[in-house]
Amino acid sequence: MLPTLDGLRIVKTLRSAGVDAPVLFLTALAEIDDRVEGLEGGGDDYLTKPFAFSELMARISVLGRRPRMTTVETILRVADLEMDLIARRVRRGGAIINLQPREFQLLEYLMRNAGRVVTRTMLLEKVWEFHFDPKTKIVESQISRLRAKLAKDSQPELIHTVRGFGYVIKPPS
Amino acid sequence: MSLSHLPRLVRTASFGLAVLYAAVLAVSVIIIGAIVYWALEISLERQTTERIDADIGLLKEELRAEGDSELIEEVQRRSDVLGLEYLLLDAKGTRIAGTMPVLSPALGWSTVELSTNRSGAGSSRTLHIHSVELDNGMRLSVADDYGSIEDMRRAWIEAAGWCLIAFLLLSVAGGLLLSRRFLRRADTIRITAESIIRGDLESRIPLHGTNDNFDRLSLTLNQMLDRIQALMEGLRYMSNHIAHALRTPLGRLQQKLEAARKTALGNPSYETALENMQQEMEGILSTFSALLRISKIEAGARQSGFSEVDLSALLTTVCDAYSAAAEERGKVIGADIAPSLWTLGDKELLTEAMANLFDNAIKHTPAGAHISVSLYRDRSSIVASIADDGLGVPPETRDLIFERFYRLDRSANTEGTGLGLAFVAAVAGLHGSELSASDNSPGLRIELRFDVAKPPNMLPTALLRAYKADRVRYGHPSPHLEKHPSQRPQRKPVRLPI
Repeated sequence: MLPTLDGLRIVKTLRSAGVDAPVLFLTALAEIDDRVEGLEGGGDDYLTKPFAFSELMARISVLGRRPRMTTVETILRVADLEMDLIARRVRRGGAIINLQPREFQLLEYLMRNAGRVVTRTMLLEKVWEFHFDPKTKIVESQISRLRAKLAKDSQPELIHTVRGFGYVIKPPS
Repeated sequence: MSLSHLPRLVRTASFGLAVLYAAVLAVSVIIIGAIVYWALEISLERQTTERIDADIGLLKEELRAEGDSELIEEVQRRSDVLGLEYLLLDAKGTRIAGTMPVLSPALGWSTVELSTNRSGAGSSRTLHIHSVELDNGMRLSVADDYGSIEDMRRAWIEAAGWCLIAFLLLSVAGGLLLSRRFLRRADTIRITAESIIRGDLESRIPLHGTNDNFDRLSLTLNQMLDRIQALMEGLRYMSNHIAHALRTPLGRLQQKLEAARKTALGNPSYETALENMQQEMEGILSTFSALLRISKIEAGARQSGFSEVDLSALLTTVCDAYSAAAEERGKVIGADIAPSLWTLGDKELLTEAMANLFDNAIKHTPAGAHISVSLYRDRSSIVASIADDGLGVPPETRDLIFERFYRLDRSANTEGTGLGLAFVAAVAGLHGSELSASDNSPGLRIELRFDVAKPPNMLPTALLRAYKADRVRYGHPSPHLEKHPSQRPQRKPVRLPI
């Protein structure tokens, strides 16, 4: 806890002063209302205690990469994988890959953060808007389904598992 | 007819007692009546005898003092005037005077029954006759009609019968009245107990201030309830406190394990051991946070986050999220979700609750199982159901699965906190929806029934928000607001130390 001033007030002040540096709330206030308030108040991400350090690192690294509002990307590329955000189409090596809406969202999030590790929790929050930890490994299953679709012709793997942390999409080394 | 078919009023203990009491009293009334009747009859008979004897004595005196002719005259005169019957026969047995319809009564006392055809109705008379030989050889008979005693007997029995009927009716009416009074008091106790069972721990039995037995019983019960509530709150406070107090050191431990794992890189056995520890730690932390969240939800604190939720979209999202995981485990999810079914609620909590139901169905069914999800409107409610064709849950433990940390014996070795369904139950409770587990034969079916007509018991802020939302959407006030507050279940939030 900060004395006299709370984090939310600081962020609001910063934002109103035109500072657009990425902000992550790291707080013990785990209520959904608190999170909504934090994000609406100008925060870019919200992580509640107790947290894993790797989770915090992954989130900070993604925040650091977050494109400023000014640049709008329409095509994302990782190696021979190409995602057209306007036509909502994905090709690998020229061949069209049919994805379910949710799989598209998942791949989009990974590709927007290509080269950065994203954690399971981040994917749950950003892709499914699940702010809890399901007991079934739904992210793992969804990723392996996506992997199978991306490597139909046994191309090299693009989505890599970082054991105990999460996933990263990057060109095969 | 068994006892349960009788009306409730008649089945009460007090009514039974009243009837028993009435029966005992009726028997004693009959006995007393019989004794009185017997004594009365004896005294009436004696009166008759004495009257006849007195008459005979008088007539004998007359004969001695005045002679035959005067006696005959006197007998004649008495026959005309008095209620007694007379007969005066000479030594040969011919009637000299008197109107007694018996010709030759035996000497001494006798009783003669006569059928009186002339009075028409075929009634009979019973005469009690005393015949004596007079000094002059004549025979004098004086008789009294027993009919008066007979009349008395009939009147007595009739009166006694009516009395008995009236008495029994009054007893039953009194019994019913007592029972109703008893029932009303007993009902207030029952209603209070039921509302406590439903979760309103604040409910107490109203007192009448009469300090009667019922009041004293109610007072004692209320004191017992106060005590139980205090103990329960203490227990809840303790467990929450433990969970809360341990969360911070466990969080630090988790970070230390993480750091240790980095330094252990390159040493595979250490690395695996630390990874396992980390996973265990995550399990412990998630159990604690689940426990705390359930307590918070049960306290009703989250109702301020209520808004209109598209249950159809919500369930579709969750269903979609689990389809890949289910398929991977060889299970099939079939969904039948009606579109655009809305309810007032907390979207995130409902999503998590639904996800928990999927977790449960996937975890506790064998490979090849079918999981069917449906959402439909049933009259004034929306029903979400998740059913599987797995092993099911034995009927006797079906309600227990919603308890915290309850696990079936056969799933003791599967991983999990044992809090998933307890969380669902807490969320259902917050939304005033009905959660039930039933037999899907085979398998388990869990149903969540949202009452659309009756809004969940909301805190004022949530109500206001719903009102505003409705104003925006439909341009008229929410129907929830038109309900009188007394029609909504009252619930005081329990303050928790978190």
